Amino acid sequence: MATDAPPDGGQSLAARVRARFEGPNTIGNSNGFWVGFLVAVAALVAFPLVGNAEQFSLFLVLSLLGLSLSVVWGYTGVLSFGQVVFFGLGGYTFAVVSINVSTPGGITAAVLAGVVGGGIGAAVLGYFMFYGGVRDVYVTIITLVATMVLHTFMAQTAGSEWTIGEAALGGFNGMPDIPLLKLGVGAASFQFMYNAIPVWVPGFGTVELDPFYYLALVLLVGTYLGLRALVNSDYGRAMVAVREDEDRTRMFGYNVKRIKLVVFILGGALAGLSGVLYAARNVFIDPTVFTLLFATLPVIWVSVGGRKSLLGAIIATIAIEYIRVTLGGELALVMLGALLLGTILFLPNGIVPWVHKQIRQNRPAPADAEGPETPDPTEASES
Amino acid sequence: MVNGINLALQFLDSFAFIVLAAAGLAIIFGIMGVINLAHGEFILVGAYATTLSATKLGLPLAAAMLVGTLVTAAFGVVVERFVISGAVPNWIGQRTVGRDFVEPLYDRLADSMVATFGLSLIMVQGARVVFGNSIDTVGTPFGNIAYGAFSYSTYRIVLSGVSIALLVGVYYIFTRTEYGMTARATIQDEETARALGVDTERIYMATFAIGSGLAGLTGALFAPTLSMQPTLGDQFLVEAFVAVVVGGPSVVLGTALSGGVLGAIQAVFTNLYGTFFGRIALLAAAMVALRFLPDGITGFIETVQSRRQEGE
Amino acid sequence: MSESETEPESRPLGPNVRQTAAEMATGDRTDTLLQTDGLVKRFGGFTATDDVDFGVAEGELRCLIGPNGAGKSTLLKLVTGTYEASEGHIYYDGHDITDLEPHERVQRGISMKFQVPSVYGDLSVRENARLPIQRFADGAERRERVDRAIEAAGLTGYEHVDASALSHGQQQQLEIGMAASLEPDLLLLDEPVAGLDVAEREAIAERVTRLNEEEGIAFVVIEHDTDFVASIADEVTVLHNGEIFLEGPIDEVKADPAVQRIYLGEEE
Repeated sequence: MATDAPPDGGQSLAARVRARFEGPNTIGNSNGFWVGFLVAVAALVAFPLVGNAEQFSLFLVLSLLGLSLSVVWGYTGVLSFGQVVFFGLGGYTFAVVSINVSTPGGITAAVLAGVVGGGIGAAVLGYFMFYGGVRDVYVTIITLVATMVLHTFMAQTAGSEWTIGEAALGGFNGMPDIPLLKLGVGAASFQFMYNAIPVWVPGFGTVELDPFYYLALVLLVGTYLGLRALVNSDYGRAMVAVREDEDRTRMFGYNVKRIKLVVFILGGALAGLSGVLYAARNVFIDPTVFTLLFATLPVIWVSVGGRKSLLGAIIATIAIEYIRVTLGGELALVMLGALLLGTILFLPNGIVPWVHKQIRQNRPAPADAEGPETPDPTEASES
Repeated sequence: MVNGINLALQFLDSFAFIVLAAAGLAIIFGIMGVINLAHGEFILVGAYATTLSATKLGLPLAAAMLVGTLVTAAFGVVVERFVISGAVPNWIGQRTVGRDFVEPLYDRLADSMVATFGLSLIMVQGARVVFGNSIDTVGTPFGNIAYGAFSYSTYRIVLSGVSIALLVGVYYIFTRTEYGMTARATIQDEETARALGVDTERIYMATFAIGSGLAGLTGALFAPTLSMQPTLGDQFLVEAFVAVVVGGPSVVLGTALSGGVLGAIQAVFTNLYGTFFGRIALLAAAMVALRFLPDGITGFIETVQSRRQEGE
Repeated sequence: MSESETEPESRPLGPNVRQTAAEMATGDRTDTLLQTDGLVKRFGGFTATDDVDFGVAEGELRCLIGPNGAGKSTLLKLVTGTYEASEGHIYYDGHDITDLEPHERVQRGISMKFQVPSVYGDLSVRENARLPIQRFADGAERRERVDRAIEAAGLTGYEHVDASALSHGQQQQLEIGMAASLEPDLLLLDEPVAGLDVAEREAIAERVTRLNEEEGIAFVVIEHDTDFVASIADEVTVLHNGEIFLEGPIDEVKADPAVQRIYLGEEE
């Protein structure tokens, strides 16, 4: 991850650490952005004092799914309708393993198994596609068909022959007996679900805080920072080069197939993690995670938020899911459809990059030039 | 013997369904480079328009089907002008702020998928808001034929005849009419076609109208056999999609062949292991086909043909 | 694009075919860098290149000319592996590279600049220049190489400008610089001066000549403009209807009535 920025003896450790998270592939490389970021994280930490943390944790979990598509589609140019395949594989794997071994250690292993399951699913499908020379929109279509296959398959697993150990897949009825999420081994473990911790907060008195919410928040913030570091690294620049022009990137000696496969696996594992948390949070999973609507939701979040923006994926996921859950019913879906249509037609690069551009244009220029790297160009592009 | 008849009828049924579901989508994809994920909802428009003109206006079924087809074609023109080409928003844009608002969705495959999915959400939920969760259906005409212990709907056999007639009709349009000639010239080389004075924008509009009309016809034809729900389009979308990508670049031949191959696979697996596995076999076949024949069946045939010519 | 039915009755075997595939495989001769053997590429029913035996010697600068649709770009893309050959073999540096992936061919020393300059417009000049170099160089060496690539492209002072803001000529220079920064033995350029003005053409010609003479990079350059061709190359290959039509020194080729007929026929 070495950069070729001139060595600068005066650079503090903080500046060098920060440099890893900054670059032209992410928006927000200014002091103002990081201050805003810290404020936003602080607000999310304090949110349970005023809002419904149990509901909000769902949005955080789904944001991980949004991020998985952003990195695969937005940064590497592989439009996948199949993120829910790996999401569902993660959730189902977690359910099957944890039902069979419902000790804390077993449940912890189930979480890992779910993440690995998502990654393996992506590795198999990705190898099949990328090393088979499948490109562009045909990748999209194969992932869409894979979603349909899993939906059709899981829907018919109602019979008793579809039982793995003690875990019945349950067809349309899903898997209701998932144990509560515990991480750790034996006595050194902690239960994250239905285990609100009373905490005394100045000004609020004693408040019951949901540990699952904080688990999801930590994972989301960590994933966001990790992906920022990734997309601003050498590897990230190669990913973006693949997105912009595969043939040309090959001509620089990059193994484009492998880059796409590696990112696809990473995206699959991330979607798997999201699925694990989803199943753990709902203590339930069923084949609706493989429906066409659910398969398309990540595409909607990422399109609306801005496919080339990790932050956009998170903001749009939270906002859209909030609207969807609170409005409910037909009207929410009509609005969602209109939002999607309007964004693709009028702001094809997404809302968050557009807002970012407006902010940058209405502000004196030097504010952004203080990073160790070059001033970042606007996110707008031709595609 | 009876099982043989079952299998044959199963095949005809799958074939007709796949061909009818795919034809409209194939034309729009092949000529405009637009993947219409709202294709199922265009079928919905055709089915609802047919059913409502039969039940509410009392039209005879054949006339109602014609209405369904035409209404969907007209609806397609509206969608093309507002969304796909962006002509109407851009007309407004030019008159208000002096610039285009929208880039046409032609050949923007991923963007067109996402945008038309938005459209499909609006249409499904719109239909639910306006018409409720279901509307009255019209009965299936022609009754049944019985053989052995089984009986089979005559209408479904008629549908397979219609699907073949439809392929012939589309073939005629694309090879024998002036529209067809110019449309094919446009696929070959849009720049040149335009330089030769072809109004490509009108070709695209007409193409979208024809594709939509075919989707409407599909909805009209299946209206008597389906329960009239806002989500009825979903069941067509997958087969349509799969048939188009498996078929490849040649619209008529591709649709016919993929209808044949996929129909056979689905029929055999359904017959042996039930509906679920028929469907999974269909989807799995599509994935394998995409992987090994990236240009579809017709692309594969072209390669084989040219190789054989070389060998002579 | 109609494919003409008439073919030249007898195709002169150019001086460029230096050795047979058998010789190549046994490695008898070493001055040949690239040799294709019966290369065929079909797209559906259309044959873009037909039985092409095309050779390039080490350190040679060869231009590839021919009317539109002659198969020039296709031939280069077959050499780089962007397209898979339908039939035939490609030998490079004594090895059969027909089945290698594009990136493996690049790592063996073949590099290419595509026809349309497609620098990464969102990225700055420096970030563009870094992309090919970051794969194999780190730290101070990387910085040095990037600096050198930018300087050689005449873009010093433009490091932090978005590549999309460069002029067409500067983008071509940057692209050639990016391809050259891989230190290839063979560099393929597809129409490097299309749409450039006279001064920009001269700058590119000078650049190509220098890379060829000073660093010993062999070039294959696709170009329509025969004056430009004459200014850089000694040898040209004429491609027509996917086949090699004629090979030889530029003056001879230009004077050949059959070549003139191809070009005139195409313009009318």
